[in-house]
Amino acid sequence: MARFRKPLLLAAVLALILVCFFAPFLWIVSNSFKPQLGIFSDVTPISWRTFLPLDPVAENYRSLFARTNILHALLNTAIVAAGQVALTLLLCSMAAYALTRIKFRGSQAVFVLILLTFLLPVEALLVPLYQVVSGLGLSNTLTGIMIPWIASPFGLFLLKQAFEELPRDLEDAARIDGAGHLRIFVSVILPNVKVPLLTLGLVTFLFSWNSFLWPLVIAQSPDAQVIQVAIAQQGSPTQLPNWGETFAGATVATLPLILLFLLLQKYFTQGMAMSGIKG
Amino acid sequence: MAQVSLAGIGKTYEGAGANTIAGLDLDVQDGEFLVLVGPSGCGKSTTLRMIAGLEEPTAGEIRIGGRRVDGLEPRERGIAMVFQNYALYPHMTVAQNMSFGLRLARLPRAEIRRRVEGAAETLGLSGHLDRHPKALSGGQRQRVAMGRAIVREPEVFLFDEPLSNLDAQLRGQMRAEIRRIHDRLSATTIYVTHDQVEAMTLADRVVVLKDGRIEQQGSPQELYDRPATRFVAGFLGSPQMNFLAATVRNGALDLGGGAVLPLPPGRPLPEGRRLDAGIRPEAFAAAAPEDAAFHATATMVEHLGATSLVHFSHAGQDCAALMEPARAPRAGQPVHLSADPARLSLFDADSGRAV
Repeated sequence: MARFRKPLLLAAVLALILVCFFAPFLWIVSNSFKPQLGIFSDVTPISWRTFLPLDPVAENYRSLFARTNILHALLNTAIVAAGQVALTLLLCSMAAYALTRIKFRGSQAVFVLILLTFLLPVEALLVPLYQVVSGLGLSNTLTGIMIPWIASPFGLFLLKQAFEELPRDLEDAARIDGAGHLRIFVSVILPNVKVPLLTLGLVTFLFSWNSFLWPLVIAQSPDAQVIQVAIAQQGSPTQLPNWGETFAGATVATLPLILLFLLLQKYFTQGMAMSGIKG
Repeated sequence: MAQVSLAGIGKTYEGAGANTIAGLDLDVQDGEFLVLVGPSGCGKSTTLRMIAGLEEPTAGEIRIGGRRVDGLEPRERGIAMVFQNYALYPHMTVAQNMSFGLRLARLPRAEIRRRVEGAAETLGLSGHLDRHPKALSGGQRQRVAMGRAIVREPEVFLFDEPLSNLDAQLRGQMRAEIRRIHDRLSATTIYVTHDQVEAMTLADRVVVLKDGRIEQQGSPQELYDRPATRFVAGFLGSPQMNFLAATVRNGALDLGGGAVLPLPPGRPLPEGRRLDAGIRPEAFAAAAPEDAAFHATATMVEHLGATSLVHFSHAGQDCAALMEPARAPRAGQPVHLSADPARLSLFDADSGRAV
């Protein structure tokens, strides 16, 4: 019997963890299919009814799409996330190339300084960032939402590690073949760090898609709202929130991420393992 | 034509106290196969990288075919280089690897194709042009690396320890292949290795480097037979030369432990002079106990097949002698040896220079 005990215990712990993470999500999805009045009647005591809608209705989704600008917010979020991914990859990979492949005085100091910015919590940066970005005239724009985050110290760190693992002889061979820095960067280095690039892209996408606080601060106007902000603000300040729509919105906002995760699971977990820093 | 000459080349790394290379002068003739050999850290790879243009010398001039090239980009020097770890682009096929430089130089497509196919043919890679490096064996990868060098049709080939990552058998084959290709293309070749067998077998001329200076240069046989210093004598030859402390006494060479050999013919030396006597393992010969100069006990015997290497201790020095297997003793048995005075190398005990 003893030899079954260990795996059983492990399975139990894993099941508990799964429940902790999965239950809130299930609750959100099930509530999005419940009528407004039914949502809170099933909360206590917790039973299977809490997590499964008895008579599923699509009402919440209908009103969500009819009444709010959720589609516009989704589009905004997609633009911001895609832009942030593209610019982060471009900027971080170029910086990583410079820091690993071009010898210059003080390169180590530059790297350490960039990494130090990692230690500052977003909340501490919020006010100065707001002043800078709005001073640039970028408040209430999608550019303003993404621009503070594209120079990502995490991305630089990740790519620098990856670049350093590439043998230096590759670059020497390319120089003998007649390639300059730009050609080496594009034709020799980048094709050989596809996995780290994809990983960084995914982590950045997730970070951007889920960000709430900064977009809330910098982009208040409905035109520039992203999905997380739109969900939180779908009710007017004088009304009680429409919880059915909130849950439906949260479900809609999560779907693209789940799809992406299923498609690229391998790189996703790799990114977590590689970073160990940021979730 | 592609003569390579280095004049007063120096290289000092920032932070490193001493010069890595100080005032190196070297001329490589057109079509010559020159091997730079030496222990690790002697500056041989740095010298090669400076010729390639991957590192800039801090002093001196480099000329290729009479044209001064230090300061020029690697691609402008008419060179091609083969690296120890092959340095193939992992994401490109064999054909793309070989043609990368030609494509960058914007050669016509037909010309690129002709050169790549020609090189593949020469190297037996024709069937592998569409493969990626990871699908190739070590030997094939090294061939691709050579192919990439050949298609550039360079004036000078540079090899940086190209065979170090291969197993012994393959190394032998590739050695022959490199020499064959050199003879066929008759381009100037500069080859860096720490392996003295490669140096001996490949070179027209061997240059032994130590601490960034040329210790000796000459044909492989010249260096083997007449090493200019104790260092060269110990570095070239496998198994290694034996060294015994010797003193000139009564017109003969006292090697300690009762061993006395006549002075080598034509080399009179003053009484009492202290020397290091170098004896190659094959210069020993089994002798009858009454004729032998060396009397010892075999401590270990290595049977190499055609010969046996007999280890023994003489006057506190470990020595080894190559003997015919039939005449080799077993470990623990007495061994009696003579040595041909004409094949002795004598070095000054202090400076290590040949006398």
